[in-house]
Amino acid sequence: MTRTRGIHGWLSALAALALWEIVAQIYPNSFVIAGPLDVLRHMAENTGLLSRAVTATLHNAAWGFLWGNLGAIILSCTVILLPRSERTISLLALTVFCLPLVATGPILRVLYGPGNGPQIALAALAVYYTTYLALVVGLRAIPQNWSDLTRIYGRGRMTELFYIRARASLPYLIAGLQIAAPAAILGAMIGEFTGADRGLGVLTLRAMRSLDVDATWALASLAATVSILVYGIIGWIGRRLVAHPASILMTPPPVQGRENWSRSLGKAVALIALVLVLWHSVMDIFDLNRFFAKRPLDIWRYLTTNDEARSTLRTALTETSALTVPGYLAGLGLGAGLAILLTLVPALSATVLPAAIALRSVPIITTAPLIVLALGRGAAGTIIIVAVMIFFPTLIACLQGLRQTPGQIIDMFDSYAAGRLRLMRWARIPAMLPAFFASARMAIPAAFLAVTTTEWLATGKGIGNLMALTATTSNYNMLWSAIVVVTAAATLAYLVVERIERAILRVYASEQVQG
Amino acid sequence: MRCSPMSGAAVELNGVSKVFGTGDAKVDAVAPLDLMLKAGQTTALVGPSGCGKSTVLRMIAGLEDPTTGTVQIGTETPKALARRGAVSMAFQDPSLLPWRTLHSNIALGLKLARKPSNPDQVNALIDLVGLSGFGDRRPAELSGGMRQRAAIARCLISEPELVLLDEPFGAVDAITRNRLNLELPPLWRDRGTTAVLVTHSVQEAVLLSDRILVLSPRPAAVVADITVDQTTIPVPNTPDFQRVCDDVSDALGAVAA
Ligand SMILES: Nc1ncnc2c1ncn2[C@@H]1O[C@H](COP(=O)(O)OP(=O)(O)OP(=O)(O)O)[C@@H](O)[C@H]1O
Ligand SMILES: [Mg+2]
Repeated sequence: MTRTRGIHGWLSALAALALWEIVAQIYPNSFVIAGPLDVLRHMAENTGLLSRAVTATLHNAAWGFLWGNLGAIILSCTVILLPRSERTISLLALTVFCLPLVATGPILRVLYGPGNGPQIALAALAVYYTTYLALVVGLRAIPQNWSDLTRIYGRGRMTELFYIRARASLPYLIAGLQIAAPAAILGAMIGEFTGADRGLGVLTLRAMRSLDVDATWALASLAATVSILVYGIIGWIGRRLVAHPASILMTPPPVQGRENWSRSLGKAVALIALVLVLWHSVMDIFDLNRFFAKRPLDIWRYLTTNDEARSTLRTALTETSALTVPGYLAGLGLGAGLAILLTLVPALSATVLPAAIALRSVPIITTAPLIVLALGRGAAGTIIIVAVMIFFPTLIACLQGLRQTPGQIIDMFDSYAAGRLRLMRWARIPAMLPAFFASARMAIPAAFLAVTTTEWLATGKGIGNLMALTATTSNYNMLWSAIVVVTAAATLAYLVVERIERAILRVYASEQVQG
Repeated sequence: MRCSPMSGAAVELNGVSKVFGTGDAKVDAVAPLDLMLKAGQTTALVGPSGCGKSTVLRMIAGLEDPTTGTVQIGTETPKALARRGAVSMAFQDPSLLPWRTLHSNIALGLKLARKPSNPDQVNALIDLVGLSGFGDRRPAELSGGMRQRAAIARCLISEPELVLLDEPFGAVDAITRNRLNLELPPLWRDRGTTAVLVTHSVQEAVLLSDRILVLSPRPAAVVADITVDQTTIPVPNTPDFQRVCDDVSDALGAVAA
């Protein structure tokens, strides 16, 4: 079974390569597409350069992976040891995760100077949140009896964490790390875009600027291959360590009853205040230069006194939203839709799932220049990049969710000869909803990342471009304003989706909400 | 193994009751209970499913706080006893940690009770519960009955003053269960450990305990308090044994009706 699937996988990969070459042959010298043969030739001619770049990128990605995951482990253990801190820590972690890397990158660059700092920091920022969510779920998911086992001896949460939860969450940690590995490479490459001197990102920028199609394709292929490889390697190590890998559903934390709006509002205000105080005090503690490290009050003053700045910001945000929202919805819709279709034809889903899992680890954004090269600087290119970025994780999550329909329920529908469509509608789709919403939430920061990076690298529009522009012209007031706006928008959107999720799951999958 | 007779602790419940939840979701699980369990005795709780037996056990263990009343064990609160590592509990399913070997699962009982680790003592107990040679196996490689033995061993390794057994043999087949019923109880009984046992089997209750409390449907209240003379009665299929079983069954039948 696995063996035939493996052969299927190789065959479809070969077919894809052949198709790619044929298309490339049809459009020779098109300045858009280079076939696999051109890519291979380019790689052969530049082996030294490329291998140095891969080494540099992997080096930074590895350090970012380490720091990011260490942070995730510390945060999630804190949440387990101090359950009351969960909401605050989760929201702070989310806010930091929603920071637009496109803007934090240049600021970190000013802070660190030339070295590897920004690449490592961005790689860490790109990985910690998924690992954090996976670990919180994993650390919590132990049977009541196991936790009673430590309490019966009068031992506290620390003992429980050490003897039981830590080991029990290993499958979840590994699942999180597996997703984190390609993300670290992506983060490192975005860090390299901000003006590093070595790495795949540096070469990608250079190839784009000189319209070197062969090099662009070769670099994108290389980044994709390396990402798929690290994903595979971590999965392999994981399978040696634990017998049953976890399929993680990052369900939202349980809520006790319905919160009224005034209470939620109070909490939101408290959180915003906390973020602002942290922002201000971190900068003061590290004594960061006021010229580029703007404090909340600086931004407040800038935005309240400067009409022109406000309208620039508004225009950019509108432009960006007009691309983000359709791309986001299209990616989610296509991912869920295809998952449903594939499940109606089970043989197909068995073939597609491994391919989709491999493709998820491709750093889509680094192929943004290619897509824009092919489709031009209009809206379509950007929307497609956003959609593709979201499509694969959604497809995988939904396929896994659809498979989790309990066997007895399927048998019950079979016994009524209810037919596949009805089974889908009444049993499978409700079973898929938690997975769907989990990916809908995670897709929001991803969508913003895709949009801003594409605007920055390729289209020269929207808030991504505004960030890039203000970073080069040292207009840090505007840069920070853009960061605030994007972070707030992403966090808000995430929380809105979380509310919708809770409302819908309360009806369709109440056991998930109660956690 | 050290065998100090009468090392158990008496258990006293004064007006202990438990209500879960509030408002519409309110569940009256246990009606106010006054009980005195003598040190070194094994007491069985029997009653219809969902009547609150596990809740009583968990309150004695200090895992659940009573809504009213107090639990006293010897001169201490359950939580103080727990902090000394002087109480242990076996759950309905063995709850062994799948990543630990049998030996280290049992040794965990010592660690959690803050007692010095002692591999020889663990091995001796492994032999006593009939698992010789399986010390380095993981739970997944053992049968259900073997896992139950291991869970009981984990319970007893710390030489507690009080053991709480919540349907410890619930998940094994009848034949294995009969064997475990004969082989395991002496391990705590001979050491004079106080034990509270929840079971659905009348025979098991009569076989293992000095005293049987029959509980009413929720909220649990004691409807019959039957003493079993362990020096004469627990020989299955004798008229005496059958008579006690009938008493318990009658009491159960009365509450179920
Ligand atoms: N944590 C809890 N929250 C709310 N209700 C609970 C909780 N624990 C138990 N209950 C309720 O209290 C009642 C008694 O439960 P308990 O588990 O003590 O019964 P039991 O006699 O052990 O049943 P069984 O023989 O099936 O194990 C049940 O109605 C149960 O639903
Ligand atoms: Mg019970």
